[in-house]
Amino acid sequence: MIWVSWRQHRSQAIACLGLLAALAVYAIVVGTSMRTAFGQDDGLVTCLARSQGNGCPDAIHAFTDRFGSEVNVAFWSVLLILPGLIGVLVGGPLIARELEFGTWRLAWSQTVSRARWLTVKLGLVTGGLIVLGAAMTAVITWYRAPMDRLTGRFLPNIYDFEGLVLTAYILCAFGFAVLAGLLLRRSIPAMVAAFIPWLAIRLVVEFVLRPHFQAPLTFHQVCPQNGSCFGGYGLGILPPVTGHIGDWVLGQAAGPAGVNSYLYQPADRFWTFQSIEAGIFVALTATALGATIWLLHRRAA
Amino acid sequence: MIQNDPGTSPPALRTDQLGRRYGRVWGLRDCTLEVPAGAITGLVGPNGAGKTTLLEMIIGLLQPTEGQLAVFGETSHAPMAARLARVGYVAQDHPLYRDFTVADMFHLGRAMNPSWDQELAQARMGALDIPLKRKVKALSGGQRAQVSLTMALAKRAPLLVLDEPVSSLDPVARLEFMREVMAAAADTGLTVLIASHVVSELERLCDWLIVLTGGHVQLAGPTDDLIAAHRILTVPRATPDAELPGLIIHRTDSDRHSTVLVRADPARLAARQHPGWQADPVGFEQLVMAYLQRPSKTARDDTAQAAARPGPATKAVTR
Repeated sequence: MIWVSWRQHRSQAIACLGLLAALAVYAIVVGTSMRTAFGQDDGLVTCLARSQGNGCPDAIHAFTDRFGSEVNVAFWSVLLILPGLIGVLVGGPLIARELEFGTWRLAWSQTVSRARWLTVKLGLVTGGLIVLGAAMTAVITWYRAPMDRLTGRFLPNIYDFEGLVLTAYILCAFGFAVLAGLLLRRSIPAMVAAFIPWLAIRLVVEFVLRPHFQAPLTFHQVCPQNGSCFGGYGLGILPPVTGHIGDWVLGQAAGPAGVNSYLYQPADRFWTFQSIEAGIFVALTATALGATIWLLHRRAA
Repeated sequence: MIQNDPGTSPPALRTDQLGRRYGRVWGLRDCTLEVPAGAITGLVGPNGAGKTTLLEMIIGLLQPTEGQLAVFGETSHAPMAARLARVGYVAQDHPLYRDFTVADMFHLGRAMNPSWDQELAQARMGALDIPLKRKVKALSGGQRAQVSLTMALAKRAPLLVLDEPVSSLDPVARLEFMREVMAAAADTGLTVLIASHVVSELERLCDWLIVLTGGHVQLAGPTDDLIAAHRILTVPRATPDAELPGLIIHRTDSDRHSTVLVRADPARLAARQHPGWQADPVGFEQLVMAYLQRPSKTARDDTAQAAARPGPATKAVTR
C-alpha cells in the first residue's frame, strides 16, 4: 500500500518539491541581501541592542522601507491562498479521481479493505504535507529573520507564515477537499467546494477570533501636559506604541483623560496563540478526515 | 443464517433472500441462489436489472440490506480482506490507472494481494504481446481488457467475476477475451460468473444460467436442466391459457396459431400432450429472451400462480 500511495501521489510530491525549491530560491536571493544589509547597518544593530528598538524608529523605518515591499506585498498575497491551494489540489482528487474514472472498483476489490486503503493513503499524504508545511515555514522564518527583529512575529501577515499555523492551514484545506471529493465524486468541484469554506474560516479566525484567543492587555500612554501625544496605532507603526517590539496592538480603549489607552497582545503570547490557532485547524482536519473514513466504511458495511 | 456443513466444501456462491435497497428503491430483492464450485455461470438481465448490485455484494463493494450471502463459505460478516481474497473482479469498462505502466499495475497487484502470482501475470503479457513498459493509456481497448483480466487472474482467487467484460470491445477482441477466460477456467478449475446483456456471447460458454429482471431472479439453475424443463408449444390460437400445461412464460399469438413457452416437468409435458399441439425443445437464446421479455415478477408470484391453478393431475382434459 505504501508503494501504491507513493506511485499515485508521486507527481504531486514532485510538484510540491518544485514549489518549495522556488520559494527557497526566492528566499535565498532576497534574504541574503537583506541579511547583509542588516549586518552592515551598525546604527540599527547597536540601537536595537541598547534600547529594544524603542529609541530608533528612524533607523527601523529606513530598513523596513527598503525591504518591506518585497516582504509584505508578495508574501501576503501569494501566501494567503497558497496553503489552501496546496491542500485542495492534493486532497480533491484523492478519492474523487477514483470515483470519477471508475478505478475505485479496481482499488477496493484487491485484498485490502477500503478502510485500510484510505487510512494508509491519508496517513502518508498527511505526513508529506506536514513535512512540506514545516519546510515552507522554516524557509520563510529564516528569510524573514532580520525583519522579524524589527517587527516581531505577531502581526497578521507575519504570524500566518511562521510557527505552526501554516502547516495547519494546509492540512485543513486537504481534509475538506478529501471529504468533498467523496461527497461530490468529482475532483474539480471538490477542490472549489473545499477552498471556499477554508478561506472563509481562515479569514474569520484571523480577523474575528484571533485577537480574542486570550483577553488583551491594556497599555496606558501618559501624554505630556502641553505637547501633543503620539496617538497612532496600526500595523505599520514601528516600534509599537507599547514600546516593545513584537507586541500586537489591537486598538484604542477608553481611558482616563490625558491618557491614551491601547489594547494589545504581548509578544510572549506568540506560541500560545500559534498553538490555539493550529489546534482549531487541526481539529477541523481531523473532523473532516474522520467523517470521510466513517462514510466510506459505511458505504460498504 | 447460512450455515456451512463442515463435511462438504461450500458452494462457490450461496445467497438467501438477499436484498439491497437504495433509498426507497430496491436494486435487488429476494435473491436466493446457489452456484457450485467450478461452474461457468451467465448472469443475464437488461441494464438496471440488478446485475451490478448483485456482483458488488458478492465482491464486498456493497453490503446487503437484507438476507445472507456466502462466497466459498465466507459470509458478508467476515473480515473484508478475507472476503476480498475470494474474488477476482474485472469491472465494467476495465478500469486501470491511465498513467501507470502495465508493470506498475502488476506492482500494485503484488502490493495489494498476498497471493499475487507475478509469473502468471508476466507470462500472460508475454503470450499476448503486451509490453510491460507501455502505459495503460497507450493500450488498445482489447489490451486493456486483457490487463484487467490478468490482474484478476493473478490474484489467484477461486471465483472470477466479470461485469459486462466484452460490451465495449470489438468482435475480434471479444472472441480473444472470452477464449482467455475459458482457457483460464479450464486450467485451474476456476468458478466464473459473467454478467452480460449480450446473450449470444454466453450461449457457448455457460453451464449455469441466472436471469435477472427488475431486481428479481427469474430463472436460475444448470443450463441443461433449464432447457429440459421448457418446451415451445405451437397450439391453435383459441386454446385458453388454462388448458396449457405448466407455467406459461411467454405467449405469442399469430393468425391461426399461438407459440407458447411453458415451463414444466418433462414427464408432465408428455402426459398433457395433445394431438393438435406441436412441442419443440427451446434454444438457449430463445429461453433467455422469453424471460427477459416477461413482466418482472417475483419468485413468490410464480409460486402463488402455480398454487392457484388446479394441478394437471386433478383437472380432466375435456377434449
